[in-house]
Amino acid sequence: MKILVVDDFSTMRRIVRNLLVELGFTNTLIQEADDGENALTALRSQPFDLVVTDWNMPNMTGIDLLRAIRAEAALKGLPVLMVTAENNRDQIIAAAQAGVNGYIVKPFTAVTLKEKLTKIFERIAASGASA
Amino acid sequence: MNAVLPLAVDESLPPELRELLNSPEGPAFELALDTMVRQREQHLFRALGQLARELHDAVRRLGGELAQEGVPGIVADARQHLQDALEMSASAAHRSLDFAERMRPQAESLACNAGAMLQRSDSGEPAAALAREAAEFAGNCRAGLADMVLAQSWQDLTGQRIKKVASFIGTVESSLLELVRLTGALAGVEAPLDVAKVTSQEDADRLLSEFGF
Repeated sequence: MKILVVDDFSTMRRIVRNLLVELGFTNTLIQEADDGENALTALRSQPFDLVVTDWNMPNMTGIDLLRAIRAEAALKGLPVLMVTAENNRDQIIAAAQAGVNGYIVKPFTAVTLKEKLTKIFERIAASGASA
Repeated sequence: MNAVLPLAVDESLPPELRELLNSPEGPAFELALDTMVRQREQHLFRALGQLARELHDAVRRLGGELAQEGVPGIVADARQHLQDALEMSASAAHRSLDFAERMRPQAESLACNAGAMLQRSDSGEPAAALAREAAEFAGNCRAGLADMVLAQSWQDLTGQRIKKVASFIGTVESSLLELVRLTGALAGVEAPLDVAKVTSQEDADRLLSEFGF
């Protein structure tokens, strides 16, 4: 499995990476990108199974990254989990409308991360089984 | 047409004023009116200029105080100080993460060895008791390290606020200079040609003093 972690703060990328390992994603290749633009470049160059992204980043924000992913035929089915300090109603609605698969408000706990990831992968498994 | 009559005697003026302006003393009356308006404007511009100067000095003093603590710089460097704080906090958070990443494999290895020892020994043996204790300790360590890793997200949360404040300082700084330029221009002082290119603290100080603030 391959996961792309997108955040402009290197500490946050490292924290998410650590938590993913702690949650058992040990046979997982975790790559990092520091903004939406670089994330998009990485996503176009190789297949990923999940994107965990921040919202507030320079150059290209997380919501723009999400929209770009949904607009691109080769990427539109990719699950996107948003992990962000942006917690106002309009932003959460915007993310939902743009097709986000999960939304975690910072600061968060490992339990929350696990819950959202489990839900995302359950849905993927269910849609894969029904297809 | 009288050249000293920029005020159009239009319908919006009160009838008393219109009458005076149209009278033979009209030009003299208008001149007096104009002088009065100018005087009032000057008061306002002086007050605005004073305000701008005080604000500017306050920001300068802040810079000076930081400089006394061994960090060089003045107002324009306030943002740099915030950037430094951002980098120092990031580096502190990374050190904690280094520690957690170093300790996790040790805790895992201890848990593994303790598990193996438990399987090899009878549950009544002192070695088994020690192994159980070690396994529990290793488990607590892993949980504690995970919590510590997560706690480092303070750096991201405070860092985002620091970035916002730095950008706000930049906005205040340029608004302040614009205010000084406007009040200076309105108060009748000719604005220097390179006003739009103010970039450094020296430029800002020079501009302020040119306007007499």
